[in-house]
Amino acid sequence: MNEDFIHKWISQVKKGTLSFIVLNVLKSGKAYYGYDLINEIKKITEIEIAEGTLYPLMNRLKDEKLILSEWVEQESGIPRKYYSITPEGKNTVTKMEEYWHNLNHSISKITK
Amino acid sequence: MKLKEIPFNDQSAERIYKDYLYRIKKEVRGLNQQNQDEILMELNSHIYENLQEHPTGNEVEKLLNILEKLGRPEEILKPLVADKKLAEATKTFNPIHVFKALLLNLTNGISYIIFFVLYLFLSGFVFLIGAKLWNPSQVGFFYKPGEVFILGLSKGLANPVDELLGNWFIPTMVVSAIALYLIITLLLKLKRTINK
Repeated sequence: MNEDFIHKWISQVKKGTLSFIVLNVLKSGKAYYGYDLINEIKKITEIEIAEGTLYPLMNRLKDEKLILSEWVEQESGIPRKYYSITPEGKNTVTKMEEYWHNLNHSISKITK
Repeated sequence: MKLKEIPFNDQSAERIYKDYLYRIKKEVRGLNQQNQDEILMELNSHIYENLQEHPTGNEVEKLLNILEKLGRPEEILKPLVADKKLAEATKTFNPIHVFKALLLNLTNGISYIIFFVLYLFLSGFVFLIGAKLWNPSQVGFFYKPGEVFILGLSKGLANPVDELLGNWFIPTMVVSAIALYLIITLLLKLKRTINK
């Protein structure tokens, strides 16, 4: 077994699926701030994500108009930036799911 | 909204924290003030919320763990700064922004390398304006069908009478530079729109 290869492959898969994971967490309509979102992802999926990679991704999703962001003042004086999904984001994640299911189906056939 | 720093009891923790903030600030320096503040405040909030979750324990150790998981600012901010700079550049038409954005995005694909080369052409036109003033007889647009085709310094290879533009050389270069600049910036905008 080539551990190095597997390691690289896993990090590519994670990187490629992070936007799908994030949009899936947000699709319920609830708004999350960055750290909260990371925890939610960990809780549901047990996937450890490289935390610093989340913020560039959120910026891209926002550029693509799939999510919105809003600063909310806190008592501590350190505001949180909350992210929520847009209608376009919801439609997009639905399409992504369809693709994911088809892919899953094909993969399970090929790995038999 | 401005950054409010997180208070620490432990002096070492405070030093580590300030150093990390400084590294973020250094990374985002090329962006406009609003984008700089946004990035700084968001990472600051990440550190703060993370600390709040574990109110007890050694501050230094907690902070080091948080910063390690978050990653080095020099690495994590690269894609973010490149994206934001490009967005800024295509909004403003400011040549310095465009140049910086292209530099930051060079590693993001062949198309940016092409843009960069176009940009070098553009600086070529600007350079020729200065060169013409400095060496009027040898710099120009020399053209004689089948023999000479030089835009720039003739190095004595062309007969000065073959210079076609004369006093129109500088205005032509100015117009070419502006036209190319507008084309580059519009293409960048178009590319961003297509990518979306």
